[in-house]
Amino acid sequence: MSVAATEGRLLEPEFMHRLERLSILAKRVKLGTSKGERRSRRKGSSTDFADYRDYVQGDDLRHVDWNLYARLEGLYLKLFEEREDLTLHLIIDASRSMGFGTPNKIDFARRMAATLGYIALSGHERVCVEAFNGTAVKRITPCRGKASARKLFAFLESIEAEGGTELETACRGYLGRNPSKGVSVIISDFFDESGFEGCIRRLNQAGSDVYALHVLAPEELAPSMSGDLRLIDSETEAFTEISVSRALLQRYGSNRDAFCDSVRRFCTARGIGHMNVSSDASIEQLTLHLLRRGGMVR
Amino acid sequence: MNALASMLSQAFLAPAFLGFLGLLPVIVILYLLKLRRTPVVISSTYLWIKSLQDLTANAPFQRLRKNLLMFLQLLAVLLLAIALGRPFVRASGSGGASYCVIVDRSASMQTLEEGVSRIELARRKALDMVDAMTRDDKMMVVAFAETAEVLCELTSDQVRLRAALRSIEAADTRTNLRDVMMIARSLAPDNPDIASVAAGLQLVLFSDGRLADLDEVGVGTASLSFQQIGKSANNAGIVGFSVRAPAEGGDPQTFVLVHNEHSEALSSTLTLSFNDNALAVEEVIVAPGADQEVLFSHPPLGEGLLKVELDHADDLAVDNRAWLALQPSAQVRVLVVSPTDSTSGYYLKRALSLEPRAQVSAIAPESYAPTDDYDLTVFDGFAPPGLPTGAAVFFNALPPVPGLASSGVIEQPPVVSWDANHFVMRFLNPDSLGVTSALRLTLPEGSRTLVSSTGDVPLIADVSQGGRQVLVVAFDIAGSNWPLKLSFPLFLQNLISWTPRGAATGDSFIPTGKPVPLFASGNLTEATVISPDGSRETVALDPARPSYFGATQAAGIYTVEMGDERQDYAVNLLDRNESSISPAESINLGRGEVAAERGPVRQTRELWRWLALAALAVLSLEWWIYSRRAWI
Repeated sequence: MSVAATEGRLLEPEFMHRLERLSILAKRVKLGTSKGERRSRRKGSSTDFADYRDYVQGDDLRHVDWNLYARLEGLYLKLFEEREDLTLHLIIDASRSMGFGTPNKIDFARRMAATLGYIALSGHERVCVEAFNGTAVKRITPCRGKASARKLFAFLESIEAEGGTELETACRGYLGRNPSKGVSVIISDFFDESGFEGCIRRLNQAGSDVYALHVLAPEELAPSMSGDLRLIDSETEAFTEISVSRALLQRYGSNRDAFCDSVRRFCTARGIGHMNVSSDASIEQLTLHLLRRGGMVR
Repeated sequence: MNALASMLSQAFLAPAFLGFLGLLPVIVILYLLKLRRTPVVISSTYLWIKSLQDLTANAPFQRLRKNLLMFLQLLAVLLLAIALGRPFVRASGSGGASYCVIVDRSASMQTLEEGVSRIELARRKALDMVDAMTRDDKMMVVAFAETAEVLCELTSDQVRLRAALRSIEAADTRTNLRDVMMIARSLAPDNPDIASVAAGLQLVLFSDGRLADLDEVGVGTASLSFQQIGKSANNAGIVGFSVRAPAEGGDPQTFVLVHNEHSEALSSTLTLSFNDNALAVEEVIVAPGADQEVLFSHPPLGEGLLKVELDHADDLAVDNRAWLALQPSAQVRVLVVSPTDSTSGYYLKRALSLEPRAQVSAIAPESYAPTDDYDLTVFDGFAPPGLPTGAAVFFNALPPVPGLASSGVIEQPPVVSWDANHFVMRFLNPDSLGVTSALRLTLPEGSRTLVSSTGDVPLIADVSQGGRQVLVVAFDIAGSNWPLKLSFPLFLQNLISWTPRGAATGDSFIPTGKPVPLFASGNLTEATVISPDGSRETVALDPARPSYFGATQAAGIYTVEMGDERQDYAVNLLDRNESSISPAESINLGRGEVAAERGPVRQTRELWRWLALAALAVLSLEWWIYSRRAWI
């Protein structure tokens, strides 16, 4: 049974084949955790020359550049670049608010995470995935290699939208558990009464390349409700009574735009990749065009 | 509470419907209980709360706006409730309505106001009203004095209305508003309130407010407009005139009662003349608003016309003169049909024989045979199969009147009420009448109970049928204390006067507007009546019963020529109410005071149509706002 066939629910096999040609881009050279295919800031044992340095006692004499010794009569060590892997951090907001929309936002987040995760696994990168709601965390051990795709997909499919949202707490916990730098992608609707800024700021300060995928359902982008309603917050169960009116809808629209804009501006100001997407957007289009154009994948 | 009701009735035709205003707090309560909102679970209310806060902050009077729908609903209910209450305003000119113009043409309307009679002033105002009529307006004209007359039925033809109004002339009679209201009632037969609210008829009364029978009229005040005519109070008039029989060995006395309506004391002279020869002149001084009796003593006068005249130039002339036709008392022939040994028969015969006008015969029931020879037949404990020709009184017997029945006997029935307005009950007080037992009578339609006991059981009743005067006394007078009471001989005296011949004899006068009874003598078939203005009218006579001449609108002497016989009848106003000419500031119709109005006639204009339209507009706006959801 192929991975593609097994995980057909999340990603189409044909799309997966196309994903295999892509790779995750990191803007900065990071330290990896194990040998891989990406340049590392470490000096290592690849064939690419990096630098010289003075010999100090204890250095392996095999790395001394004897030709240079012959010319300069000094012992210099020849350094080569190290090739290490990249860690892709997929942080998924699995709060109850993500369970809304048609298609719902958590489904979109699963498929987006599967897409990015599969790209990374295909490129022999390390993938760390965590889904959080409130203070609860659901995760799997970091995985690597295409063979881990099934495990990744199974994990993603098991994610359910429940509980509240505490973005900053979740990120702080995540960074504690996964200190390695790499590329961090957070997929969330950022509906957090305590604010989204703390979470993104922490991820950014961890040294990874951060991408924020701000996902909203079509119903949130353009509400079609009418009448006298009691709106009940899915997470807090607090309610607000409204009589839907044109003025209210206009005000909602401008507030929604302002909210999305505030996330975007916060991210852009910190060099964080940001994308505002609707949960009914096509994952293929998004990956093959928008993410490539945004420099996230290549 | 009554004050409030009275106030409301000045502004609303159907104030009871204002009870719908009670819906206002209901709406508020419903809003307080809040409308039921559909619960919808959404991902997050984060953006909605923010939007609501923004909207609240941006919108002034937001609290008010939040409840805009409620305020609109309250306004709509308020407008509808007020519209149901049928508010009205009084405004000059007309506006698509029906009016019943009622013109008082009684004697007091002859009063001159700066050279113009009140009736003319009323006519002018009514004509102005006709001029102000629109094409949609309708009007009817009713004139009334002693009787009411529809001069023009409901029409929008202004030519006919003007002609009808111009034909109104003041009479010398008193007023009888009840007839007018009967006419108004006939226009709206289903409406218990003769204000004819259902017919939309507005009553406009042109009068000086000197109306005698206001308490008998039940009119909703809202649809009646009382147009006060006249201002003058400058009048003094004769309101009482009679000749008293001479006391033992003395002269007869003529009694005159003078009323002074003016605000200044009256000092004038009264001239008494007999057959145009002056008998006496007395000076009379009457305080403002007071009455003064004047007594003339003179020798017995015999047959002729006694006239009294007040020498005073005032605004109403008709009450400055009065006449009495003095004539020998004609004998009223009375037959008492009573068992010979009957106690009650004894009382009856005894009391009747005291009345000088009565010529009493007695007969036992078994000897009774119907005859035309008697003006009054008194049946005591006996009823013949047919009624006699003249008036008949049945004591303790059931007269053969269809519909009259007796169902048993009541023991010791107390006297509860009596009808003092009936002729035979004049001057009587049957309060202390004690009866051991009486027949429990069931009266036919159109009868009049004169004395009633508990439960409206009649003790004495007028069951006159088809011109036959019939009275029934339901008890045996021997079983009562009545013969010992003053009311008994007075009752019999009234009975004598009640008969047509009794009414026409004696030193009497006939009030203006009342008919003159004519009795055929010999084989004459017609009589000629010469009115005070000299006009002659022929009246057909019926040998079996009296005929009547009714056109006695003018005060004065009416001469009846019957063959070679001539008889004078005095017709006088002699009415204090009409002599009190100062116009009333308000009239009380039993259901509230109607204030007098002056100036141009302000006709009632109902506002409910506008209010209903406004309510419709408000409801439409409310619905539009609700459907547009333009507000929170």
